[in-house]
Order: sequence, then C-alpha cells, then structure tokens
Amino acid sequence: MLAARDIHRHFEGMHAVDGVSIEVMPERITGLIGPNGAGKSTLLAVLAGTLPASSGTIVFQGEDITRLPAYQRARRGLVRTFQLPSEFAQLTVLENLMVAAPDNRGESLLGALLGKRYWMPDETRLVAQARGLLKRFGMNAKESDYAGTLSGGQKRLVEIMRALMLRPKLLLLDEPMSGVHPSIVDEIAGYLETLRDEGLTILMVEHELHMVDRLCDPVVVMAQGKVIGQGGMAALRKQPEIVEAYLVG
Amino acid sequence: MNTYYAANLLIFAGVDIIACLALNLQFGVSGIVNFSFIVFQAAGAYTAAILSMPPDTAPDYTFQIYFGGYQLPFPIPWIGGAVAGGLLALPIGLVVLRRLRADYQAIALLVTSIIANTVINNARPWLNGAAGVALVPQPLQEQLNADTHTYQYLYIGLTAICVAIVWFIAARIVNSPYGRSLRAMRENEVAATALGKNPTALKMTIFIVGGAIAGLSGAILVGFLTVWAPSTWLYPETIILFAAVIVGGRGNNVGAILGALLVPVGFEEVTRLLGGLNIGPPQLIPALEWVCIGLFILGFLWFRPRGVAPEPRHVFPGAPIREDTRWVEGTPAS
Repeated sequence: MLAARDIHRHFEGMHAVDGVSIEVMPERITGLIGPNGAGKSTLLAVLAGTLPASSGTIVFQGEDITRLPAYQRARRGLVRTFQLPSEFAQLTVLENLMVAAPDNRGESLLGALLGKRYWMPDETRLVAQARGLLKRFGMNAKESDYAGTLSGGQKRLVEIMRALMLRPKLLLLDEPMSGVHPSIVDEIAGYLETLRDEGLTILMVEHELHMVDRLCDPVVVMAQGKVIGQGGMAALRKQPEIVEAYLVG
Repeated sequence: MNTYYAANLLIFAGVDIIACLALNLQFGVSGIVNFSFIVFQAAGAYTAAILSMPPDTAPDYTFQIYFGGYQLPFPIPWIGGAVAGGLLALPIGLVVLRRLRADYQAIALLVTSIIANTVINNARPWLNGAAGVALVPQPLQEQLNADTHTYQYLYIGLTAICVAIVWFIAARIVNSPYGRSLRAMRENEVAATALGKNPTALKMTIFIVGGAIAGLSGAILVGFLTVWAPSTWLYPETIILFAAVIVGGRGNNVGAILGALLVPVGFEEVTRLLGGLNIGPPQLIPALEWVCIGLFILGFLWFRPRGVAPEPRHVFPGAPIREDTRWVEGTPAS
C-alpha cells in the first residue's frame, strides 16, 4: 500500500526523522510508537505531505508521491488527522464533513457562480453520505453544532468522519485517543476495528499501549528519529533495547 | 440636507458597500488580511480614468501628464477598472499568498500598499504624480447632456446596479460549497489542505475576485469625483474598510453592508456634523475620527468580536431547527 524508503527530515541540523524505511500493509492497522520526540508525528506529516521530506522516497499504490503536495496526496486517498484538534471551529459538524467531500461541482469558483442548480445534485448526494456517517458514529444530533463547541472526543470523531468523507485508501491517525475521555477511547477503538474489518488501511501513532495491543499489527517502534524495531507487540516486548527505549521507559 | 448632498451620500455609500463586500470575501470569508485593498480600488480608478480621458495632449488636458487616454465609451472604463483590479491581484497574490504565513502576508500587503502609493506619488510621467489625474469624463454625461440633478439620479442608479451585481456574486460565493471551502481554509489552512483543498488556488481565486470588485468600486468613484490622486488612497483608507467589516460582522454579506453604512458613511457624516459646530481647532474633529475608528475596532474585537450581524450558522434542511438557524441557500432537503 505505502512504502517509505530512507526518509530524512531535518530542522536546521536537528534530525527529526533520520533514515526511516517502513511499509504499510493493506487492510491492517499499523502502529507507530515511541517516546516523545522520537519523530513519529514528523514522519506522519512527511508521509501526508504536510512537511516535505529532506530526502528519501515515498511510494503510494505504486506511484512515487514524494514531490506531491499534501492536497494532491489527500485526493489520491492518503488522508491524515492531527495530534491536536484541527476542526473547523466556526463551521457546523455537518459542514466539517461536507468540506472534505470530493467531487462537488460547486467547489470551484465557476461552479459557485453558476448557482445552486449546477451543484445541487452533488450536494444532495454528499449531504446524504455525510448524514450516514454521522448516524454511524452516533453524532447525528450534533450536525448543526459548531465544531468548536464539541468535547475533545467528539472532535476526534469529527476528524475521523471528515477523513472518511474523502473515501481514503490509507488513513494516517496521529494519536486519535489523545485527550479523549476514557469512555470514548473504547468507542473510537471499536470504530477503528470496524473500519479495518471493512478493508481500510490505517497507520496510527498512539501512546496508549493497551490500545496498540488491541488494534495494531504490526507495530513500528521509533526512537531518536530512527526505526528501532517492528513486528508484533508480543515479539517487540521481548527485545531488550526496545523495552529499554520505550516500553518501560 | 440638500438633494446634492443626499446624492453624494448615496453614491459614496454604494461604493463603500461594494468595497466592503469585496473585503468581506477576502478577509471575512477567506481570512486573507488584505492590507493593500485600497491599491486595487486605486488601480480600478486610474484605469477607468485613462480609458475614458482623452490623451494628455488634448486641449484642457495639457496641464497633466499620463499615459493612455483612449476616450472609450461607458461601460468600458468601468469594466476595465474591474479587470485591472483582478489582473493586479495576480502578481501580488502569487508573490504574497503562496508561501508566506498569514501574519507575514498581512505585513507584506501593507508594505505593498505603501510602496504602490509612494511610487505613483513620485513618478509623475505615469499618472501625473502627487497631483493626480483630473477632468475625468463622467460616464454618459456627453451623450445624455443631462442637468446636474438628473445626472446624479442616473449615477445613483448605475451605482445601485453595480451594488446588486456585486451582492449577487458575493451571495453565490458565500452560500456555495466553494465558499464553505474558503471558510474552512480561514479556520485551519493545514487541515483543509490535508483534506484535498488547494490553498493557493482558493486564495488566488478569491483574491482576484475581490481585486476585481475593488477595481470596480474605484471606477465608480473616479467617474463621480472626476479626480483621483495618491492622497485619496493612502493605506489608512484600508483600515477604515477593515473596521467596517469587523464592526458589521465578518463573513456575513449583510454585516459588510451594515459595516459600510456604520463606519465609512456614518463616521464621515458624524465628522461633518460635528465639524459644523466649530469645536476646538479645525483639525480636531477629523483627528478624533481616527481615534474613534481605532476605539471602535478595539471595542468590537473585545466585546462583540463577531460584529453587529455575525456570520450565520449554516444549517442544512432536515436538521433540527435552532433559534439561530439560517438555511443555506439552495441546499437540499434530506
């Protein structure tokens, strides 16, 4: 699905990502773990195109996307969420989802000027699709609330639904459980399992190890910008250098 | 208040409404802090002037120096003014909007405004320098040969038609999926990009549309004033328009209109009325106008940041009805 080869990302001499090579296998949730400052979120940003790679190659579904800007990667199905809430605060929940919807003829300036008759059929179809997602995630009562007024967990759900509106092939999740009430953590995990079972591929940065245990296989461990191990969690727990670097550190 | 003054007021109100609707598209809806807005109005005014004036060698015009002078009939100078505003947005937008962060964009646009004014002020051969262009022919004046009152009513009508056209365009943009993407970019550009939105394309298109509308407002203004000089488009003029959009309600076309009536028109009127009372030194009241505009901006940002008429909540038909619901124009029932 996605192969990154020898990825480097430097910030004025600091090697945030230092020669990382990983592969993401289809229809699985790949975990990306490591201590703070290991370079996980930077790697995710480089894969999504939010940050350009200093060097290295990223191939997504057989296409070299290393030089593509973030929006073109998203249009190809490589969609990310963010570590910090990134909702469109002054837009309603349904609008947040509609922003992400592709193939709307009213998305261009010309389409907008041509008027509602031109883009109404697309809008109708996409509103129905967005409401389907809201219902599935139990958020239909919130569709007209401003996204900025939601709780942390609800914002996470909006981000995931928003990404799903793009019909992603690979979803990059940056700490989807971070700052979320424990009761919603289980809910989000359940949704991710269902999405995986339906065939969606996910690469997920996560600190909650019990969630990584539950959801992720394989798991990639990073420390100081490098990959120090990958495989199943059970096998990783037996490697002393990984245990020392992260699992009990 | 005599008829002449009322006509003046209506035409200035129309021009300010057009300008505020354009700035609302750029700043209120899209989050582009265009501190060089007045430059686009000036570009439209100068273009309309040189398209409608005779060459500077013509009798009565030899006291000024400018290029062009094409004597083109109405509405070509107004269309030309709008095109000039849009075309000017292209190079400025490509330099400023593509790579700079939003706060640096604002600074770069402010500097652009100061540079443009300084250059035109000092380079006399292009547009007659600090003295500006004068004796700009009024649209249809020669063809109609109307008396002053009749012509003023005609000009009010032409301005009103332009206000209606600009309102139509602004409403279509704001209520469309394209407008929704602009608002998303305003809220969080990185997240919008990660959802497949091309921020450069979004910013450039709305910058050009706003520039063209600003150019049209300049063309209308110069056709009425018949003069245009660098002193009429100093950068603080942009601040007044920003105050109008902030006070009226960012992101709301109705708010932009209210802001235009409250700030540029309202303050001008209050200044005129107070000026007639002969309070203090002659420059006291105009200076206090600026103090009041500054306080007005601060007061609204502090106590009512969303303005007199806040951006409405866009609710889709079929959703639970709320008190503050305003249906999105043309959205389908579920």
